[in-house]
Amino acid sequence: MTLQIQNLGRHVGQQWIVRHLNLHVEDGECVALVGPSGCGKSSTLRLIAGLDPVSEGEIILNQKNISHVSAAQRAVGMVFQSYALLPHLSVFANLELGLRVRGVRPSDRQQRIQAMLELVQLQDRADVLPAQLSGGQRQRVALARALLRDPDVYLLDEPMSNLDAQLREELRPELRRLVLDRQKPVIHVTHDQHEAMAIADRIAVLHSGRIQQVATPTELYHLPETLFIAKFIGRPQINCLRPKDGVITAVRPESLFFAKEGLPCKLMSREWLGSSQLLYLESPEGSLRLSCSTSVDIPESLIVSWHRSDEHYFDEDSGRRL
Amino acid sequence: MNRRTLVGLLLLWSLGPLLWQVYTSFCSDQALIQPFVSHDQRWTLIHYQSVLNANPPFWRYLVNSLIVGISSTFLCLLLALPAAYALNRIPRQLSALSRLALVGAALFPYVLLFLALLELARALNLGNQLLALSLPYAALSQPLAILLLNNAFNDLPPELEDAAKLEGLSLFQRFRWIFIPLISPATASTAILVFLFSWNEYPIALTWISDSSKLTLPVAMARIAGSSIYSVPYGAYAAATVLGSIPLVLLVLIFQKPIVSGLTSGAVKG
Repeated sequence: MTLQIQNLGRHVGQQWIVRHLNLHVEDGECVALVGPSGCGKSSTLRLIAGLDPVSEGEIILNQKNISHVSAAQRAVGMVFQSYALLPHLSVFANLELGLRVRGVRPSDRQQRIQAMLELVQLQDRADVLPAQLSGGQRQRVALARALLRDPDVYLLDEPMSNLDAQLREELRPELRRLVLDRQKPVIHVTHDQHEAMAIADRIAVLHSGRIQQVATPTELYHLPETLFIAKFIGRPQINCLRPKDGVITAVRPESLFFAKEGLPCKLMSREWLGSSQLLYLESPEGSLRLSCSTSVDIPESLIVSWHRSDEHYFDEDSGRRL
Repeated sequence: MNRRTLVGLLLLWSLGPLLWQVYTSFCSDQALIQPFVSHDQRWTLIHYQSVLNANPPFWRYLVNSLIVGISSTFLCLLLALPAAYALNRIPRQLSALSRLALVGAALFPYVLLFLALLELARALNLGNQLLALSLPYAALSQPLAILLLNNAFNDLPPELEDAAKLEGLSLFQRFRWIFIPLISPATASTAILVFLFSWNEYPIALTWISDSSKLTLPVAMARIAGSSIYSVPYGAYAAATVLGSIPLVLLVLIFQKPIVSGLTSGAVKG
């Protein structure tokens, strides 16, 4: 059972929102779609879910072309950023609605919902309204609803971006446990690259409606195919030196170190981040960011250097890796 | 002038005529024209008796108006709910254009239509039928009802319907489980407005209905007021007014909460 997307595209009027999208997700694999806002990642999910019509290309789920099948018939479980729980129904009723319209017997429904509530650790909250739950609990209800659907593919649309940073960290392993245990393809949309790296097996970077690269987090970090990806993945952001002969050289802030010989710099400002510190430097090559351990003393004469092997080269015009 | 006197004056301004009408309805004819009348000659229920015992009795008109009011409200909502939903789902430009047309239609003085409507009623044989009155009433209330309900649909987060679609709910089931319950405040306030229009409407009711047992309240009231060329029956008229407003007062009291929350919009949050 796999999800295969071939040359998928959708346009509204003259404008292509998503185009030439190819993606392959295995069972039990989680692919994160990341990109800046408006890059088409949510639109891609809506296409896979069947909420928006497909303009070109194919979506194939378990060898079946579902590109033009209605949303109700696609067996897709989706978790929305805004949870999308019905505010006038209790947690139990929210979970029951889908089972009811799909014709599950009342005794069966009761049993399955109880089991599901236990799985997401909300067994004592069955009768309360969503408004009485915390954000994390609401998201677990939304997740439970998707799990009860027992879908062939899971689509998570920024499921945790309404939660605070600490809660997100706590929920991440739980999300993996609940969703990936089902051994179904999972697509996780997020604008948070940390979340993507923590959860996903592979990451697809989207930019203006096109996939720029699909790779494991390590590959993406060490071998970014475009300058856009190099800048998008990794914080603090990668340093880009002045282009020479149409080639942009880029170096990660943590690859820079102080040396006797190299590039003379002036310290502009300094951010202390606990385990590391971030220095903003001004050099003849432009402004640089240098990340180093807090135990490193900052020398009087700031001269930075880096190893040749840590350099990334990109074409100035196309932004492609050289 | 402090806030309290201001509120007092406003209350007097809006409630004064009503209270005067209630007072008048309990006064004997003599008390209405002479300032000083002894206590037992002043208060009377005779106006209520005469109005209720007339032929046809006054409650007949109340029932007629209720029939027309309920049927036109029902018909209006039945058409306006799907229309308001559709207005939300069609392409944006078309929707904006339709909304503009609806505002135009809602602002149109319907009195200009009543002669044409009379011709229609005659051609289609709709005269002297109570339920037929609900056709023009529901139609005339339609633009405003659609606009109000459309606002309520706009306020609903679109993900609610998306999630329901993925759960496999059909359009009808989505209405049953999501839209009807979530926009009920707006529906209630719209229903009241439609009902009020039908309750108060005069020119169409006057021209479509001539059978005295099928009159609606406003027309019946006008008949009481003009029943004699020699006198104005203030007392009877006041009693009829009081009786005619009771159902409305009850209705508003019962639905007070949804009306207020519906009119202030943004009533539903996801």
